[in-house]
Amino acid sequence: MAVASVTHPGFAGHAEEPDQLYVETRELRIQGFLLFMVSDLVLFSSFIFAYLYLRNSGQGWPAGGPKLDIALAAINSIVLFGSGATMHFALENWKHGSFTKFANWIVMTIILGAGFLSGQVMEYIHIGARWDSGIFGASFYTLTGMHGLHVFGGIIYLTVLLLQAAQGKYTFTKYTGLTLGTLYWHFVDVIWVVLFSIFYLL
Amino acid sequence: MEANVAHVERILAVFFGIVVFFVAVIALRNDWKSRGIENQVFKIMLGLLALGAILGILAAFGMLIGKGVA
Repeated sequence: MAVASVTHPGFAGHAEEPDQLYVETRELRIQGFLLFMVSDLVLFSSFIFAYLYLRNSGQGWPAGGPKLDIALAAINSIVLFGSGATMHFALENWKHGSFTKFANWIVMTIILGAGFLSGQVMEYIHIGARWDSGIFGASFYTLTGMHGLHVFGGIIYLTVLLLQAAQGKYTFTKYTGLTLGTLYWHFVDVIWVVLFSIFYLL
Repeated sequence: MEANVAHVERILAVFFGIVVFFVAVIALRNDWKSRGIENQVFKIMLGLLALGAILGILAAFGMLIGKGVA
């Protein structure tokens, strides 16, 4: 707290109230971002239902089913879910005016996100199915690849937010961008809950 | 060797899954009375995060494994 109050320009905003324009547009910006997330959800839903349809139709599905590594998938999923928790801590610490703790938690989130991507790469190496080896490979790589791209994009997004926060773009009373970044990261987590369930648990 | 690695992965998944579950539930409880559209979405997502942690723990225990899993 003391460190943040001395070194971070955002602390100056702690005493001042947000201006009227900010208050009026904040809700609209959040709603706009939620609409983007809904559109992304529709995209994922289309591929998820296509996967479930193809799987249940049975035609061309690998005999005996593909062999996925449940232990790796479980620890990898927990790594991603853990990153959701650390991102939540990051935002909470920003709300409480601690830039240092916010930075630590967001860096932890980025590291866990990168760890998840590494786990996905290991899964791709060991899965024994290729993108073009059949409808299982096509569905698996499309969905997990699309999700992986979202995680990769999220890592870049969070890095940019961290840099912007360090430069004083956000204050401790005006931080809609950080809220949106947290929403996006939670969204990526929640999509993985569904993907993990349909690929590994069904 | 691979069996040992899988065993360690399962233990880590259970341990950290429990941690993530409790963190999500506590965060949800703390945010329960928060207002505003983003906080409502946060609540839903924290609930789903807790659910995901439970699924991860059960999968690591081998209690929930799909047909195509080794």
